[in-house]
Amino acid sequence: MPIVNIDLAWLNLLLGKEYPTETLRESLEQIGCDVEDVVEIERSRCPQCGSLVEHPLGQEEVKSCGLCGYESQTPFKPAGSQQVMRLDLLADRPDLFDVGGLARALRGTLGIELGLPKYETKWSSVVVGVDPSVARPESYRPFIACAVMTLPPVGEISLIAIMNLQENLHWGVGRDRKLASIGVYDLDTIAPLIFYRTIDPDKEPFVPLGMPGKKMTGRRILESHPKGMAYAELLADHKRYPALVDSNGQVLSMPPIINSEETKLKLGTTRVFIDVTGISQAAVTKSLDTLVCSLCEIGGKVETVEIAERGAGKRITPDLKPRNAEVELAEAKRWLGLPLDDKSLIESLRKMRFDVQSTNGPSSSGRYLVSYPRYRTDIRHPVDVLEDVAIGYGYANIEPRLVKSMTVGRPRPEEPLSDRVRQILIGLGYSEIMSLPLSTEEYQFERLRLPTPERYPEVANPKLKTYNVVRTHLMGGLFEALRENRRRPMPQRLFEIDNVVELDDAAETGAAEQRRVAFVETGRESGYATARSVVDALLRELGWKAEYNAIDHPTFVPGRAASFSIDGKPLGILGEVHPEVLTNFGLTHPVALAEINLQRVF
Amino acid sequence: MPDEILLNEAAYTVWQTVKERGPIELGEVVRITGIDQAQVSATAIEAHEKGFFEIAENEREELIVSDGANDLLKEGLPEQLANKALTEAGGEMPMSEFVEWAKQKGVPVNEVLKWGTARGWIERVKTNSGVKVALTERGREVGTDTNNDFDIFVLMVCVEKKASFLDELVKKDAAGLDRLRHLLGNRPELARIKKRITRTLNLTGAGFDALMKHVRVVKERNTLTPEDLESGAWREIKLRPYDVTLVAKDVYPAKIHPLRKIIEQTRRAFLEMGFAEVVSPMIESAFWNFDALFQPQDHPARDMQDTFYMRHPAEVPLPEKGPEKGVRNLLQQTSSGSTEQKVPDTFFDIVEQVRRTHEDGWETGSEGWGYTWSPERSKQVVLRTHTTAATIRALAANPDPPGKFFCVGWTYRNETISFKHLPVFHQVDGIVIDEEANLASLMGTLQEFYSKMGFGRVKFKPAFYPYTEPSVDVVVYMESRGKWLEMGGAGIFRPEVTLPLGCKYPVLAWGLGIERLAMLRFGLSDIRELYRPSLDALEGVPLCR
Repeated sequence: MPIVNIDLAWLNLLLGKEYPTETLRESLEQIGCDVEDVVEIERSRCPQCGSLVEHPLGQEEVKSCGLCGYESQTPFKPAGSQQVMRLDLLADRPDLFDVGGLARALRGTLGIELGLPKYETKWSSVVVGVDPSVARPESYRPFIACAVMTLPPVGEISLIAIMNLQENLHWGVGRDRKLASIGVYDLDTIAPLIFYRTIDPDKEPFVPLGMPGKKMTGRRILESHPKGMAYAELLADHKRYPALVDSNGQVLSMPPIINSEETKLKLGTTRVFIDVTGISQAAVTKSLDTLVCSLCEIGGKVETVEIAERGAGKRITPDLKPRNAEVELAEAKRWLGLPLDDKSLIESLRKMRFDVQSTNGPSSSGRYLVSYPRYRTDIRHPVDVLEDVAIGYGYANIEPRLVKSMTVGRPRPEEPLSDRVRQILIGLGYSEIMSLPLSTEEYQFERLRLPTPERYPEVANPKLKTYNVVRTHLMGGLFEALRENRRRPMPQRLFEIDNVVELDDAAETGAAEQRRVAFVETGRESGYATARSVVDALLRELGWKAEYNAIDHPTFVPGRAASFSIDGKPLGILGEVHPEVLTNFGLTHPVALAEINLQRVF
Repeated sequence: MPDEILLNEAAYTVWQTVKERGPIELGEVVRITGIDQAQVSATAIEAHEKGFFEIAENEREELIVSDGANDLLKEGLPEQLANKALTEAGGEMPMSEFVEWAKQKGVPVNEVLKWGTARGWIERVKTNSGVKVALTERGREVGTDTNNDFDIFVLMVCVEKKASFLDELVKKDAAGLDRLRHLLGNRPELARIKKRITRTLNLTGAGFDALMKHVRVVKERNTLTPEDLESGAWREIKLRPYDVTLVAKDVYPAKIHPLRKIIEQTRRAFLEMGFAEVVSPMIESAFWNFDALFQPQDHPARDMQDTFYMRHPAEVPLPEKGPEKGVRNLLQQTSSGSTEQKVPDTFFDIVEQVRRTHEDGWETGSEGWGYTWSPERSKQVVLRTHTTAATIRALAANPDPPGKFFCVGWTYRNETISFKHLPVFHQVDGIVIDEEANLASLMGTLQEFYSKMGFGRVKFKPAFYPYTEPSVDVVVYMESRGKWLEMGGAGIFRPEVTLPLGCKYPVLAWGLGIERLAMLRFGLSDIRELYRPSLDALEGVPLCR
């Protein structure tokens, strides 16, 4: 999970008062945010674009600029340090990714400001025209939402914060720019009307961020620009690339890869244009709403943009009107088990920055209309609001208790049997091992001289070739254990009890599971007779009577292998292991082995 | 009457020797009896503690004869040779002549002068005609018969014994003692004189009395034989006492695997709390592993990168509509004794209800995910990524309260291997279906469960999990590390999970990774260590851990 650095001085400024770090830490943990630590972070200045760059923790120097993409041979010049709070990002709460959003939440939990934050919007007069080509399969990135913001003049610290928020939203909402990606521009460098259309990979070159003076085509950017190479895969199947172009024909950006150098934010910029494009409408809206609401918290004012789609009419974005959910006191009490009343329910929700209105006037019947802000994109059901009631109430204030109903504990039938078998084998001096149920054809079949079947439980996409078969017997694991211990004093006695699978078309998911036990003994004296003694002892202690029959089994010495069964139902096999199998595992002493199916007998 | 005193044969011999020869030095007893020093010493100390022996400790001087002394004596000491030569020369020689003689014989002149003078045999005389070497009166008296000189005599006697106490050699002659110290104590080629603490043993009156009246001799052995027991000879036998503080050879019992022990502890905790154990197939449909848990079909956890998909079997049918097969399959997966459960009406539409819930929320009050749900993706076969697949099946088969179910089992993630990750590991999942299931009873249940797992102090934090709301992280206090650690996730299943399965009540759910717990318990930093089948490693973990 990424970690974000929150400037402590700035946070306290937004809260209007200097809070002890410990108070902030506790308050954040109450709402589920883990504070890693509070540290001094060094900053350096990029010699090319002049912006501040935060050093990653523990890194003494930086040589590349995230803003303009400049890579240097020598470290950047230091530019002082700043005390920051390092926070684990909560993927579900992108509204807590930045200093503005955190200040908004903390004002609620600290009781500084309760209820719904209000975001006023006015019309910016910017229009974005959408060309249908962005919805075609060969250039697919159909969704777009935009906004204009007036910010306090962009300073060095706020520039870093805006960039970090943009990157973290790419991670948390945009699924690394795939579902949605964000572009931020200095509006004064753009000539509206803006078009969202597609460009030919080899035409309409522009200067990408970080490469002043170098005009590049879309294809060149994907081949040679650092960001282009990093995200080229997202456009791999595109015959034309999505782009924002202004009325002068200037390419503003090529989502989801990169913006143009000319339109980037500069120190002192106050009018900002924001676009979010993507392949998921939900992710696009979520990204834009979260971003503009957070920027409002650091002094921004939102203006709307008209999105005009041929054939689909006009839309206005962003829409920051609060959304509503209906919550009942009785349901909250049932779901949470808390001694809530109307007052504490309302208080808890207002602390979480929601507005609450009784649906039936002041003397309510416990039904409430809860208004929640747009940035709370995690809410999709009234129970999500109930969780906020509990968080507002404080998890630490909840009195744990138990349900009163009576239920009976019952083990699965194979477990007591497995336990009995385990006791018997330990009593006979056998030590238990556990091995992983993933194996290979070599260990499951070849080394045991077994023919590899045509079909077996095979994994289609293992990252590691050594784990592509789900085990069909326990013998492989025991042989590997013997190999591991081959230099230890003899004799050795090992066993394993666990499940194996076998393909079975009659089974619900096409494979049946069996509980099995297998044991091995190795040493000068080990052979058929020693395995037979142990199987006999096991069956005797379990009260089972089995019949033995000679079998031909490639893993065992011919004439020294048997199967055994109860009432004609096969139960297991035992024998003296074939010398070639021993050699295959690098073993130098004879091995006696048995494997028994415990599933078929209870 | 005093108790009988049992002595083994050796101890009895020591007593007898001390009675006959006492007071006698301990070393002397060793020499006479041939019993080893440790045993004589132990016998003496035991007898002394009981008041039967006196032990007198003395500091004595011991003359230890050097290895070459015998040869030197045979050749003659330098001063002896000089005495002879001077006697033959008439009692004196000029220094120059004497030096010439010494040179021829290879005798060191300074040695002659040093020891000859010390013995009072030889002197240097200055005359008008120069320096002479001359015999003294005593020197003339000794003449050629130099071996009669006392210290040389003593030395010759001592050569035989290698070591002797000075006080025994000279008795009470103080002057003779000084002479020995002077003449032998400073000539390391002949001998050394060393100070030693000696112990002299003697019987006390009580000891004499005991030896006469109460001592009985018993046989002492290292081992007891069947013959001794059969013949009754064991009555006469004393088994030699051991030094019980010494260590013995290490042996290890055959044992349950350490990880299995933790799994068994986990199972017991659930069973004690009234939970029924359930299982589900490791080879599982994406429907039960993901869709039934309201996991969207484009969720990154479902990527090929993170989840194992099977080649064989590659596809399985979705749960059927008809009551027969679908329900039977589900019932097979739940605990024995669950056969009485009713067939839930909603069950037959389960796939349809899950589809609708994903798409638009169905009747759950949710917005849903807003996409078109694909039955094909749901039929894919995966290696289950969590044991929640088992508890969710149990919920589908038992949607009415009360019900408590748990599953411990292997779960799979398409990971490479590292000290932190294995592609397959164990999880435990539990659910509670109850009219009183709520956040407070979730916390109570978790508190009880974690206390059974050995964590007496538990805290809860808000958390975010995809299929529970509210969600909780359990933080436990680990005594051995002195800190709080996150130990597992929990929550109440979202209505989008429970309602399509026909369950109208809140359902508590939580899970825990067994390997992480085991690593903390056994102090391991590498997860792979848990599955190393090395006997050394397995034996090294005591059962109490």
